[in-house]
Amino acid sequence: MSTIPPQDMPLTNAPASTSSNPIFQATQLPSSQPPQKSMTKAERRELQDRQRAAKQQQGTSIGGGGGSASGQKQAGGQRHKDLLSSSSKPPPKSSAPKNNRPRSESSALRPAADTGTGDDLSSSRKGLRIFSHFGLSELPTKQVKIAEGDLVHPAVARLALMFGEFKICGANARCIATLTAFKTVIQDYTTPPNTTLSRHLMSYLSPQITHLVVARPMSVTMGNAIRQLKLEISGSDIDLPEQDAKDALCQKIDNYIRDRIIIADQVIEDLAVKKIRDGDVILTYARSSIVEKILLHAHTLGKKFSVIIIDSRPLLEGKQLLRSLSSLPSPSPHSFQPGIQCTYALLPALPSLIQDVSTVLVGAHSLHANGSVYSRAGTAMVAMMAREHGVPVMVCCETYKFSESVVLDGFGKNELAPNKLSLPSPRSNLYPNLEVLNPLYDATPSSCVTAVCTEVGLIPPTSISSIPLALGKTTL
Amino acid sequence: MDVYQEYQGFLKNEEVSPPLAAILSLTEMMERSNAGTMFELVKELKDGAESLNKHSPNPISLNAGCELFIEFITLFPHDSASFSDLKTELIKQGRDYVAEALTYRRRIAELALDFIKDDSVILTHSYSRVVMQTLLMAHKRKRISVYVTEARPRGLGIKTAEKLTAAGIPCTVILDSAVAYAIEKVDFILVGSEAVVESGGLINAVGSNQMAIIAKAANKPFYALAESFKFHRLFPLSQYDLPTHHPTLLSFPISQHRPAPPMMARPSVMPSRPGDESLTDDSVSPIKFTQEQIARNNPDVDFTRFVFIWRSTELLSRSP
Repeated sequence: MSTIPPQDMPLTNAPASTSSNPIFQATQLPSSQPPQKSMTKAERRELQDRQRAAKQQQGTSIGGGGGSASGQKQAGGQRHKDLLSSSSKPPPKSSAPKNNRPRSESSALRPAADTGTGDDLSSSRKGLRIFSHFGLSELPTKQVKIAEGDLVHPAVARLALMFGEFKICGANARCIATLTAFKTVIQDYTTPPNTTLSRHLMSYLSPQITHLVVARPMSVTMGNAIRQLKLEISGSDIDLPEQDAKDALCQKIDNYIRDRIIIADQVIEDLAVKKIRDGDVILTYARSSIVEKILLHAHTLGKKFSVIIIDSRPLLEGKQLLRSLSSLPSPSPHSFQPGIQCTYALLPALPSLIQDVSTVLVGAHSLHANGSVYSRAGTAMVAMMAREHGVPVMVCCETYKFSESVVLDGFGKNELAPNKLSLPSPRSNLYPNLEVLNPLYDATPSSCVTAVCTEVGLIPPTSISSIPLALGKTTL
Repeated sequence: MDVYQEYQGFLKNEEVSPPLAAILSLTEMMERSNAGTMFELVKELKDGAESLNKHSPNPISLNAGCELFIEFITLFPHDSASFSDLKTELIKQGRDYVAEALTYRRRIAELALDFIKDDSVILTHSYSRVVMQTLLMAHKRKRISVYVTEARPRGLGIKTAEKLTAAGIPCTVILDSAVAYAIEKVDFILVGSEAVVESGGLINAVGSNQMAIIAKAANKPFYALAESFKFHRLFPLSQYDLPTHHPTLLSFPISQHRPAPPMMARPSVMPSRPGDESLTDDSVSPIKFTQEQIARNNPDVDFTRFVFIWRSTELLSRSP
């Protein structure tokens, strides 16, 4: 029996009404709660508090909203609405519960051999309670796959495993992989009788998306692409033969990948390469596919520059970049041109290296309405250090990474690196009280960014939200 | 006739600034061209703009003009009956725009008048036509006195001082290095501009940046006046990212006693080419720094970041 308190649940970013519904959790309590004796005093008290709070909420929702003095009162009106609607039909039913089933249940299904990691996960989760909203990524187990075998397309299941294992990593790669998998899903889809593709396909895709999100929280790029896909699906012509409609959708997906990612990257490459001059020292952090392309492109143009790669645990992605930059084949067999001169260092070495840098070039996970750049954890530190030393910071980012939300810091929204990546497995059981906190992202304030290099040109980070208007669109 | 010679011919007119001269010379070029299609015409214009860019020692503001004009040509509605009609129309539009653009300075002067209070002391930098016109107009209605920097090495500030004094405005030339000394006595700073870039920053005669920084430190307003044809699609990341930056600027003479520096000694500063006469070559004779050498190693323009500019009084008018 797992000892995970189900309240730590928000497992996914998926529909809040089911996954974070306190009533739903409250009803699950008796079955999943550990024997009271095995709990510490503090834990017992917390559990009681929670039960009381849940009861109180239930009371207010049935009574039509009375003044409750507890902290739960602060929950917004939307939440109350959710409560009202769900309390009238106790078991929340949708396709989601299958994926958002309480974690205790899914871990109970695990084979005994897996319990080691399960306990380790649970202990860390207990300690990191204030970060529980970060959405800890949990590797999808085989059980999950089998249980949903009838729902999840094999391509998506495979993709989810790769996401969870960080085999596919990076906003662009994940978006392209998702869209490519969805193309297969769409081709294999047949519209059931008495409905139309434009109405039914999205409800078929939703559980697939949810499955991907269980493996790893959705990236902003995937969110934007899926929103666009939804729009295309709902707009597809009802009278079109099914195969034609599916082909048209796949064509749209291909166009999206081509226009918003591949061509955009080429434009960004051309723009950014102009900012690299002979004798420059370019500093980059971790690994961004677009920065890698820019540096390689500058190298093929014969520019003489050197690169400092700053890297950090747990992912150490900079190593891959170092490998691809330093082991370049000569552009032509006749000219002897070695790879780019690289320096590899970890984040603590940054202060002693930053003085020699002429430009900092970093990629981004997403770009937000207030100009913050949400990127690999550590980027903010690099950008701030660069600003302190008067080194220009250029963020390279396609416009489809733009998100209309406002991100003020790295705490409101983040993702934790799975323990498997942060701790080598033999050591993980040695320190039962060791809590690991490895957020994957952080937010760089716009004041630390000199320019954002997008396919529509170089712009100041705060101007990103005006681009759709300038292009005559409502959304990017 | 060569486009660049024509361009310089237009520049001889005291009223015409580089972007307008560029537009005029491109218009002339269009008149002579025997391009049969729009595509050919645009290509010719682009080549012309490229050759202007290559010949000019400081191409920033003329690039802004070329960019504006070519953009206008490509976006112009093609509904004329024949291509020659369209071309005549475009040429007419180009000339009309320049004629109208010449009145922009007056309009800026009128707009800027609201920023000038009676009995104010203004600091300006070097020589700028739009600032001159603004100051002369302000002089008619308000009492102003002006400090102007000498703006070495070309000393254009002296030209400003002479013209203003002739018009009866009390004017004193200060050293470029005395800006921080004088700043407390100044009400605000008024400068012209070579170009306004995408980040909102300003490209102007060298020295503007340090004035802006000093103004910021002293909490004095720093205003830049810019006609709308000086808006340029350029995003400099630093001083060394300007098109005018070349390796000899700020370069060190190559010393024989020292090995060549490694590639990553300092960003974007390369040692001067071996062809240049080196200062330490003749180590027997006493070392002299001549004014020409100093001028050669120093930039003409610099880039002022947006944060230092108080507000730019810009004339937002429609494109040609």
